[in-house]
Amino acid sequence: MMELFSSSLRLATPLIFAALGGFLCERSGIATICLEGVLLTSAWTAATVTYYTQNPYFGAAAAMVIGTLTMLIHAFLTVKTKADQIISGVAVNLLAAGTTPILTKLIFGSPTNTKAIPLNARFDSLSLTLVACALPFVIHFVVYRTGWGLRLLAAGDGPEALKTSGVSPERVRIGSMAIAGSIIALGGVYLSIAHASQFTRDMTAGRGFIALTALIFGKWRPLPAFVTCLLFGFTDALQIQLQSSPMFGNTFPVQALQILPYVVTLFVLVGFIGSARPPMAIGKQD
Amino acid sequence: MRGTRFKNYLAGPLTAIALSVSLTTLILIFLGERPAILWEAFSSTFFNGFGLGYTLYYTTPLIFTGLSVAMCFHAGLFNIGSEGQLHLGAIGIVITSSFFPKLPMYFAIPLALIASMICGGLWGFIAGFLKAKRGSHEVIVTILLNFIGITFTNYLILYPFKNTSVQNPETIEIGQGYAVPLLSDYTAKLGSELFRTTPVNLTLFLSLFASFLCYLFLFHTPRGYELRALGQNPSASKFNGISQTANFIIAFTFAGALSGLVGVNEVMGYHHKLIEGFSPQYGFTGIAVALMARNNPIGVIFSALLFGAIHNGAREIEFLSEHVTKEISIVMESLIIIIIAGQSYFSRFLNRSRGENFR
Repeated sequence: MMELFSSSLRLATPLIFAALGGFLCERSGIATICLEGVLLTSAWTAATVTYYTQNPYFGAAAAMVIGTLTMLIHAFLTVKTKADQIISGVAVNLLAAGTTPILTKLIFGSPTNTKAIPLNARFDSLSLTLVACALPFVIHFVVYRTGWGLRLLAAGDGPEALKTSGVSPERVRIGSMAIAGSIIALGGVYLSIAHASQFTRDMTAGRGFIALTALIFGKWRPLPAFVTCLLFGFTDALQIQLQSSPMFGNTFPVQALQILPYVVTLFVLVGFIGSARPPMAIGKQD
Repeated sequence: MRGTRFKNYLAGPLTAIALSVSLTTLILIFLGERPAILWEAFSSTFFNGFGLGYTLYYTTPLIFTGLSVAMCFHAGLFNIGSEGQLHLGAIGIVITSSFFPKLPMYFAIPLALIASMICGGLWGFIAGFLKAKRGSHEVIVTILLNFIGITFTNYLILYPFKNTSVQNPETIEIGQGYAVPLLSDYTAKLGSELFRTTPVNLTLFLSLFASFLCYLFLFHTPRGYELRALGQNPSASKFNGISQTANFIIAFTFAGALSGLVGVNEVMGYHHKLIEGFSPQYGFTGIAVALMARNNPIGVIFSALLFGAIHNGAREIEFLSEHVTKEISIVMESLIIIIIAGQSYFSRFLNRSRGENFR
C-alpha cells in the first residue's frame, strides 16, 4: 500500500510540472498543446548535459534554459506571427520529436538513447517531488494574489481591458510562457535524470497530453489540476502494479485503467460532471 | 487573373518548400553529412520503380488524412483527431473480417470499406456532436478521443483478436477475400517490373477518387457551400439560416470516415492484419498536408505526394547516411508547418521592406 502511494507520487511529479506550466500559458490566453515537446527537449538536455558535466544541477539549469527556448518558439509563432495556436503547438511537438533522436545519434552514436548517468550524478528525485507538491500553492498565490498574476488572468480573459489599462497582453503572454517553459522543463529533468538515468527516444510517452488533460479536468485552476495529476499518477501506478501482480497476470486488461483518465475528462469537458470553461481569449488572434 | 491564382495557391507552398529544403540542407551540413544526399534520396523516391512504389504507398494514407483535416478546416474546425479515427477505421475492418472471414472478394472489399468508414465516421461524429451540441472545444475533445481510440485498438490487438501463435502484438490475419490487389500484380501481368515487391495497392486510386468527390462536395453542392460559408463567416451564415449544428456534425463525420479509410491501405492493402502502432502518425502529418494544400482537395493529392516522398526519402537517408536518422522527415515537416503557419507574418515583413504595405 505504501509502495502504491509512493509510486503514485513519483509518476505524478512530471505531470504536475507540465500541468502547472500549461496553466500559466493557457490562462494567459495561449492554447498550449506543446507541453509534450517542451518535456522532450528539456529531458534530452538534462540527460546530455549531466552526462558530460557529471553534475545534475548543470543539467537541470541547461534543461530549464532549453525548455524556455522551446516555449519561446511557440510564443514567437503565436504572439508575434499570429499563427494558429494549435498548429504552432503541433509544429513544436514535431520539432522536438524529430530533433531529439537526431541529436542523440549525433552525440552518442545511437538514436534510441543517451549514455547512462552514474547514480551519484543523478538528481535527487524526492526533492523534485517535494518541489512539485509545493509549487501549486506558490503558483496559486502568485496568480490570484499578485499584480503580475492578475495581469496574466486578464490577458487570458479580457485582453482588451488589459490593453486599455496600458499593459500589453502580448508582453504578459510572452513572459508567462517563458516562466512556464522553465517549470515544464523540471518535469523533463525529473523524467531523464531523476526517475531514469538516461534519455530514451519518445520517453515522455504522451505525458504532456495527460498533463493537459489534468489541467482541463481541474478546470484551468492550479490546485484542482494538482490533485488531478495525483489521481492520474495513482491510476498509472495501479495499472503498473496490476500488470505485474501474479493474481491478474496477463488476464486483466490494463487498457481499461489507461483509458479511464481520458474518458472521465471527456465527461467533465462535455459538462456532464460540472462544466469546464476555457479562458475567454484562448485560441483567438487579435 | 492567372497571376492572382498563382499567388493564392502556389506561391505560399512553393516558398515553404524552398525554405524548408534550404534549412534541412543546413541541418544536414551541421550533422556532418554531404548536402547532396538530400537530392540522392529524393531522386531514389521518384525515379525508380521500387522507390516510387513506396512513395505512393505512403502517399495514400496521407491523402485520406489530409482530406480529413481539410474538410474540417473548411467548416472552421480543427480536426486533430485523425489519428484516433484511422485507428477506429482499421478496427472496423478487423471486426468485419472476423464475422465474415470466408466472404468472396467482391462482397468482402465493399463491406470492409463501409465498415471502416462507419467506424472512423463514428469517432468523428462524437467530436462533431459534442462541438455542435455542447460547445466543447473540438481540439481538446479529439486529443482525448485519440488516446481512447488508440488504447482501445491496442486492447483489441492484445486480447480479443490477438494472434496467439506469434510474440508480436498483432491480430490474426484477415480473410483472403479482404486483400486489396497490389499494383505490382497488374504490372507483372504486363511483363513490367514496375512497383515489384512494393506495397502500393489499389487503395491509391480510391484515395484519388475520394479527393475528387471531396472537391465536388465542397465546391459544387449546396451542403458544401454551407460548410465553407460557415467556416468563412460563422455569424453571417447563421443569419442566413445555415445550421451550425448540422454542418459541424457532417464535417466531422465525413472527416472521420475519410480517416477511417487509411485502414484499407494498411490492413487490407499490405499487412493483412492489424499491428500495434501501424500508423507512423499519419493523422498528424495530415495536418501538414492540408495546410500545404491550402485545404484544396485536389491540392491535397500533390501535397500528400510531397510528404509521402519526404517520409520515404528520410528512410533512404537513414540507409545512405552514417549520421542522420529517419527523423529528419519529422524535422522537415515541422519546418514546413512553421513556415506556412507564420507566413502571413513573414510575407508582411517582406512586403514592408519592399514598401508594399498598403494594398
